[in-house]
Amino acid sequence: MWRRSASFILDNRTPNDVASASRPESLALSPPLQSSAMADADANSAYYQTRAAHHGVVTSDWLAQAQAAVGRNPDDLGSVVASEAEPKPASDSGKPFSVIEEFNNWRKQPDLAEAVAAIRALASVIMSSEATTMMELEIELKKASDSLKSWDKTSISLTAGCDLFMRFVTRTTALEYEDFNSAKSRLIERAEKFGEISTKARRIIAVLSQDFIFDGCTILVHGFSRVVLEVLKTAAQSKKLFRVFCTEGRPDRTGLRLSNELAKLDVPVKLLIDSAVAYTMDEVDMVFVGADGVVESGGIINMMGTYQIALVAHSMNKPVYVAAESYKFARLYPLDQKDMAPALRPIDFGVPIPSKVEVERSARDYTPPQYLTLLFTDLGVLTPSVVSDELIQLYL
Amino acid sequence: MAEVQGLVNELATKLRKRKVEGSRETARLTAELFRTVISQQRVTSAALVEVVRDVGQKLIAANPVELAVGNIVRRVLRIIRDSDLSLEVGGLTLVPQGDDGDIVEEDDKPFLLSDAISQTILHQPSLVAQLESKPNLVRHFEGKADKTPRSWQFKHQIIEGVNDLIEDINTCHEQIADQALELIHQNEVILTLGHSRTVKKFLYAAKEKKRSFQVYVAEGAPKHLGHVLAKELAEKHLQTTVISDSSVFAIISRVNMVIVGVHAVMANGGVIAPVGMNMVALAAKKYAVPFVVVAGTHKLCPLFPNNPEVLLNDMRCPSELLSFGEFSDCMDYSIGSGAPLLNVVNPAFDYVPPELVSLFVTEIGGYHPSYIYRLISDYYSSEDLVLQQKPAS
Repeated sequence: MWRRSASFILDNRTPNDVASASRPESLALSPPLQSSAMADADANSAYYQTRAAHHGVVTSDWLAQAQAAVGRNPDDLGSVVASEAEPKPASDSGKPFSVIEEFNNWRKQPDLAEAVAAIRALASVIMSSEATTMMELEIELKKASDSLKSWDKTSISLTAGCDLFMRFVTRTTALEYEDFNSAKSRLIERAEKFGEISTKARRIIAVLSQDFIFDGCTILVHGFSRVVLEVLKTAAQSKKLFRVFCTEGRPDRTGLRLSNELAKLDVPVKLLIDSAVAYTMDEVDMVFVGADGVVESGGIINMMGTYQIALVAHSMNKPVYVAAESYKFARLYPLDQKDMAPALRPIDFGVPIPSKVEVERSARDYTPPQYLTLLFTDLGVLTPSVVSDELIQLYL
Repeated sequence: MAEVQGLVNELATKLRKRKVEGSRETARLTAELFRTVISQQRVTSAALVEVVRDVGQKLIAANPVELAVGNIVRRVLRIIRDSDLSLEVGGLTLVPQGDDGDIVEEDDKPFLLSDAISQTILHQPSLVAQLESKPNLVRHFEGKADKTPRSWQFKHQIIEGVNDLIEDINTCHEQIADQALELIHQNEVILTLGHSRTVKKFLYAAKEKKRSFQVYVAEGAPKHLGHVLAKELAEKHLQTTVISDSSVFAIISRVNMVIVGVHAVMANGGVIAPVGMNMVALAAKKYAVPFVVVAGTHKLCPLFPNNPEVLLNDMRCPSELLSFGEFSDCMDYSIGSGAPLLNVVNPAFDYVPPELVSLFVTEIGGYHPSYIYRLISDYYSSEDLVLQQKPAS
């Protein structure tokens, strides 16, 4: 009675045939929406665009945007970049250096986290800077960091990454360095090291969480987090017997992509629609989510639906584990769901909606710390109360 | 050297045969053993850390469920690291330009560094440490064997640290009992389970200070140690009532506070306690009765519990529950298919999650379960969490 039986393996019910009868329109690309949707598309947060770019989710709105972009004057994009370059000090004569461009270049790598891309971009600012004193360099960096943050006001890990790097710069300049160049090279070296942290952090988190995944367990996963995927990959590779429930993750369809990846690893996967979470929660042993940001209270900001799942899990006494790297710790303290910069995204219902019907388009929610059990970070396994401690030590 | 080996083996055997009763006794014996081991050693810190790790692993393997052994091993390792770092820092005269006046006391205090600095540089990976590059301590370790006056100082500091630790373990009950007056008020009704020496001394202290209160003692099946506690309390003229474990839920609404002792406190604030405690904790939560845990800091374990009901549990002999004579035909393995129809499970411990605990009373004060991580970072170093790994990583 102390052993868990992996009943889902012993169960010899035939699996349901893959519902090929699902509505084709929800899966196929629907024709581009009307111009009203186009106006909305402009209000889309860059946050969503990042997600879409990474996940390769093709929706009708994205398609519409892409078509429109191709049709638009190709110089438009260039001018956006150039206008960012203008306020930069004219210290770089010759080709204008744009931190946004640099950031975008880094961000395109699918494996790189946003915060790390930001830090790399800032590092390249240092490298290409012609400042001769620390003060000047700091000012340049501050400007670059501000422009990065304002380019996407909604992304928390971007803000957190920039803040972390700026904090490091200020701390370093407090120490005495004999000459400017050695200080500069130290900053660059540190930034490069930071870049390695991204992949290293995921490995550390994966190793830390292995103890908590036991044979025969059922894990519920929401959203597509590369960290959580790494955790599950490591568990699968060490031949643990477990199965995963993926929520569909409308409208990003993160669940579909995640189930693809897991099927490649031969992990038994079950897809649920988002509303089926409470229905299946009694079979679940633990919930695993990633985080877009970890806030000061110890709560997390993650894809829409996380709060709901955490509430259900808490009411049924199931542990909720969060896998997040340490650079996602942000100096935010949301008091309620609306307390953050809104990140909107288009939602495609497959059928046209009357224009006077409002749609809740927020892309993320805030889960308070009392619903989270443990956070797995590269700093170790933490309880939510440790987060504010870490942030205080760093920033104050 | 061989004598030390003999002592180590002796303690390991005692642990394996479960001859040592209680975590305080275990902690004390382990700490005293380490004092002997260290005083016999050469002084390079790297070697010392290795030796302590080896001995520690042996002792832990003898009784993995007795978490106090691992706690003491890690405490000693932290003492060694602190002494090393403080000497290193003192030697380089890179003393922190702190505003605290007494920065360098002569050789008495092993902790010369302020908490923040020592924590960031030395012990925990933290956001701050990610930005600074941590000094590689292994490098520092090697070049140290030659300086004789420093090495004598180093050993002296460590032995002092271990002596302090032993002293703390010995006096923990008194220091915890000092806080009894703040918690127990007049005309209170207190519930406890089983027989915990810490709780006993706690209640004695309140009684001596002329508080009048009653105690309900749940007997703590199957060992029924609650009976022993009840008798001792009654001898001290405390109004005591013995109840069975199953009636805790019925009685809890008449109780003001639950005070219990535990086997170990885990890093997330959860506790490993004698079996039946989870029930008491749930009852207390339901009726909003404060659930107070009294525990010395030697019970504080830096590990997180995963599947504690199985992995951190001791399955004891079934004869404590069933007398073999009456049920022998059901329990006989040689009949039929060889698998007995009647299984008897006798776990020694229960896991109580942190949400059910209201307060931890330790010898250094009272803390909420969410604060336990701070105590752990004060007492333990994160490099020592996994003892099997080699330090040079």
